[in-house]
Amino acid sequence: MDFTHTIIFLSEGVPLTLSISIISFLAGIAIGLPLAFIRAYENEVSFVVDAYEKIFRGIPEIVLMLLFFFGLGLYFPFPFGNAFFTAAFVLGLRSGANQSQIFRGAIRGVGDEQMIAAQSIGCSKWQAIWHVMVPQVLTFSTPGLGSEYALLIKDSSYVWVIGGLAEIMTRSIWLKNVPPYDVVTPFVFAALLYIVLTFPIALWLDRWGNKRKKKIGL
Amino acid sequence: MFEFVSQFAPWILQGLLLTVEITLFGVFLGLGIGTLLAIGDIYGNKVAKGVIAVYVEFFRGSPIFVQLFLAQYTVPTITHIPIDPYLTAFLVFGLNSAGYQKGYVKGAIETIFEDQMDAGLSTGMSRAQTLRHVILPQAFRIVIPSWTNEFCSLTKSTAALAYVGLFDLVSAGKSIAHITYVVLPVWLVIGAIYLAWITGFTKLMDIIYEKKKIPGIDLLMQ
Repeated sequence: MDFTHTIIFLSEGVPLTLSISIISFLAGIAIGLPLAFIRAYENEVSFVVDAYEKIFRGIPEIVLMLLFFFGLGLYFPFPFGNAFFTAAFVLGLRSGANQSQIFRGAIRGVGDEQMIAAQSIGCSKWQAIWHVMVPQVLTFSTPGLGSEYALLIKDSSYVWVIGGLAEIMTRSIWLKNVPPYDVVTPFVFAALLYIVLTFPIALWLDRWGNKRKKKIGL
Repeated sequence: MFEFVSQFAPWILQGLLLTVEITLFGVFLGLGIGTLLAIGDIYGNKVAKGVIAVYVEFFRGSPIFVQLFLAQYTVPTITHIPIDPYLTAFLVFGLNSAGYQKGYVKGAIETIFEDQMDAGLSTGMSRAQTLRHVILPQAFRIVIPSWTNEFCSLTKSTAALAYVGLFDLVSAGKSIAHITYVVLPVWLVIGAIYLAWITGFTKLMDIIYEKKKIPGIDLLMQ
């Protein structure tokens, strides 16, 4: 394969890299946001949240993927035999643990006064959380969410270890293993692709968050 | 089901040893280089700042897999210098960690930076002396929690070593699963070992932070 083909071949992996990362990112919000509020306002069950965070932040993503895909996939081919599902599942759960900590910091940043104010005008606890806290917490955590997104783009390269998903990393390894065994262009270009995918969006989220924070007076 | 643990204990220990070695080495090399980068970023001129920004963007923006393969295959191919795979791995993790730790150290220096620098200069110390005797000793105490986080994420990324031909904890797991055809229990045990090592180390660092922290720093950080 010549230079142009290599570049086209690698670029075709971008949609898959993006879809793995974005799906896990959204799953992470869906898991992390409720967990952060449970951790902040429901003291009786907060140890469950702590254990969940410890486990998913303390085991390498590679080991989790091998465990779910080859280990559990043996007994439950549906759904864990599916590489895409397992990849998004593992990265989503891991991201949920990270995002829970990001949101917890944001809840502390927004402050307790707003909860008390909302409850004093007659909102229930969960109404106050949903209508008052959540919009501000999301704004407050944009820098953290930006780096979490960048982390997921990079971690999506781990899905190469379970195989079968033609994202950027997997494609560059393929190119290394087929004639003419090029080890320069694929890896250099893969590095560039990842940097392009992570950097602008993380930066943009950070800027947007700062602007928005000023606007709503946080 | 778990007989393999005693049967293959030497492999597991050997793998764990490499994981621990590379993590500790990487995190300390990263602290050294990261501190230099942070100082360069604060005091340096435009060129130095630009170089540091590119360095950090490369090591924070690309996956550890790509960095390992670049170091293992691309660099020797271009330069025609054969490199020892262990040395390469040690260096990659150190340089990678430096990219992250630069940010933490810079943040810590900036927390205590301005007035104390002036105070140091007014007592007749040079900038370098103030940095060495006043600012860095405090910055290293402030940075411990973020440093612990960095340690955890570096430990987790060392799992990539198994795929560039080094015998770490994941390689041990792969070999055992290959020989015994026991899969799920092997990864449960390997996962548990990582979890125990990371959780234990984090606890230790929390204790050290509490013992060493600057009195009243919690108020300053708010």
